[in-house]
Amino acid sequence: MRAVFTEEQEMLRVTARRIAERSRINTPGDIEKLDSDAVWQSIAAAGLLAMRVRDDGAPMSAGVDVMLVAEELAAALAPAPFISAILSTELLELAKAPRELIDEIAEGRARYGLALAPDLGALADVAALDDAVYFGGEGAGRALALKRDGAGFRVVVLRGEGATLAGADLTRTLRVGGLTPDGAGNGSLLSQADIDRWTALALSLVCADIVGALRDGLTDLVEYAKTRIQYDVPIGSFQAVQHMTAEMLVQTKAAASVTSYAAWSVDELEPDESLLAARTAKAYCAAAAVSVGEMLMQAYGGIGQTWEHVAHLRMRRALLDRGLFGDESRQLLRIADARMGAGA
Amino acid sequence: MNYRENDDERAFRLRVRKWLKANAPQDWRATTTTEEALGKLLRSWQRKLHQGGFVGLSWPEEFGGQGLTPTYEAILNDELGAADTPRISFHAYLGRAIFTYGTQAQKERFLPAMLRGDMQWCQGFSEPGAGSDLASLRTHAELRGDKYVVNGQKMWTSGAQHADWCVMLVRTNRDVPKHKGISCLLTPVTVPGVTIRPIKISDGSPETCEMFFDDVEIPIENRIGDEGAGWRIAMTVLSYERGPADIGFIAVLKSTLGRLEALARETGRGDDPEVRKALARAYVIGEALRLNVMEQLSQRVAGKPPGPDGSVARLLLTQAEQTVRRLELELAGADALTGRDPHGAVGAYLRSRTISIFGGTSEIQRNILATQVLGMPRG
Repeated sequence: MRAVFTEEQEMLRVTARRIAERSRINTPGDIEKLDSDAVWQSIAAAGLLAMRVRDDGAPMSAGVDVMLVAEELAAALAPAPFISAILSTELLELAKAPRELIDEIAEGRARYGLALAPDLGALADVAALDDAVYFGGEGAGRALALKRDGAGFRVVVLRGEGATLAGADLTRTLRVGGLTPDGAGNGSLLSQADIDRWTALALSLVCADIVGALRDGLTDLVEYAKTRIQYDVPIGSFQAVQHMTAEMLVQTKAAASVTSYAAWSVDELEPDESLLAARTAKAYCAAAAVSVGEMLMQAYGGIGQTWEHVAHLRMRRALLDRGLFGDESRQLLRIADARMGAGA
Repeated sequence: MNYRENDDERAFRLRVRKWLKANAPQDWRATTTTEEALGKLLRSWQRKLHQGGFVGLSWPEEFGGQGLTPTYEAILNDELGAADTPRISFHAYLGRAIFTYGTQAQKERFLPAMLRGDMQWCQGFSEPGAGSDLASLRTHAELRGDKYVVNGQKMWTSGAQHADWCVMLVRTNRDVPKHKGISCLLTPVTVPGVTIRPIKISDGSPETCEMFFDDVEIPIENRIGDEGAGWRIAMTVLSYERGPADIGFIAVLKSTLGRLEALARETGRGDDPEVRKALARAYVIGEALRLNVMEQLSQRVAGKPPGPDGSVARLLLTQAEQTVRRLELELAGADALTGRDPHGAVGAYLRSRTISIFGGTSEIQRNILATQVLGMPRG
């Protein structure tokens, strides 16, 4: 048992952080100024989009590695749609889709969003695309959805632009409508176990996004609390502020712990066990997203309530993450199903 | 990242499990109704564990240990917790004071007997006027010739009623800043002038003790480290004190939650979505604790000594235990209030309130995290 990151993983973290820093968002005005195409090309050039491409049947990088990259990008509030790109390649790999389709995403030549059900709880079915929400794949005009086929599912490519939604998260774009299926499906039939495994990765990466967004929020807050003077002393010397930040630290650390295990489980445990680990992580992280996000806005005082401040950007990102693939309430009920059998 | 036990660790776990099947005391809760009987049981249990080769797993070999990683201690404690055995002597961490700061003679005198279970220990740190502010302790030791003469009172000396020896902090110099005038002495608790009185906690059990020292003579060779080095020794010891991995806590939490889930199913309350969510939430908090502890253990295996970030696991442990016990009380309902539930949910609930107090209150844990981990300025 060695639940610590390897040296290679620490190096990967450094690489991801370097790229993330180039697209760090500190205020809403930064978002439009960012050359997001250049950032995307640097992510692709570092090979980060190919991490889940299969080589001899095995992913090039473990779930934990992808988690590290997602966490670092989120820590900088980078607008890059990394998670949807990774999840697209994962879905296509599980379906053993044509190589070219996977490679164009993995090499950064094409961007795919994910079509989600209107409640953001799962991938959308092509039979119900009217209110489907497209997550990621900005400017791509392409997305993936599922199509039920007997006991299994097929991966279907959708094409079209859709209309941009004024979503909660200002750093990631959501779209709706206007996409239609292109063909009847790609690759082979996915089983429920395939979908479970994919969902476990999806939940792990969304959790990593929460962990990153909260982690750097706390780091910045601590620096602020050391220098912001009231009553002639730094506000960080007040026990009320100290205990708030200590509680933020506990929740952020625990969120990272459950997320690491979920990400590890994707490649190491059976799909049902991995899905339970991922739902557990999401239940914890989704609750922490709100709790830590609120404490972040509180501890900054008045400045933390302003549009130009970063606090609400972190809160907004965490709020969308909380809803993606189900919030804590939904996860808790599914965890109870897994542990106690279905309720009446 | 690897959460799987390696072959050696797995083999060790199976060996412990097999050994416990053959050697763990059966029905011991029902048969040990007096404190005296419990003291005897704890002593014989530690001797048996020692004979089985399960005591001092992570201690250095030169002091009678086996030089294994802390993972083995955690596996042992996990299995002990799962088998619901009597607790293992929870003062093994006090041995750290002796093998880190003791003389060769002190190590030879105390450590082997400590491991064998022939010397049971308790910790005399807190006082009526020195709780969270431990360094303000006032129990005084005056050096007269080759002896210290000790006067004062210690509080929360858990296990003193079963102990032979006490590791205590005393003030040897009143003329220096409070952290610098403290020394660490080892004293037998059976010598003249020592009085031990049980302190009953809220559930009615004599969980802990207070000790009175009235002109107690302690030979100078029983001092650990230099005079005035007591605070540093105390801090080392406390960093090793009962972490969540060291007390089989996670296994007990898991079996309690399993029992509550079964109870909810039997009573039909398991169909209530709010009850289902509450049980799942308790599971999630338990997992957060378990996984955070695994990371901290792994860091210790990798050579990083325990530090202030251990307070994260400590606060998670507190939350996990108190969440489960509150839920147990809810599920037991009126039966708990009328004394008719078989598991004593009220007592367990009240006992769970101590966990945010002993070994450093939750407020102190948050102070530690804020000032020592986050580097916030001290107030």
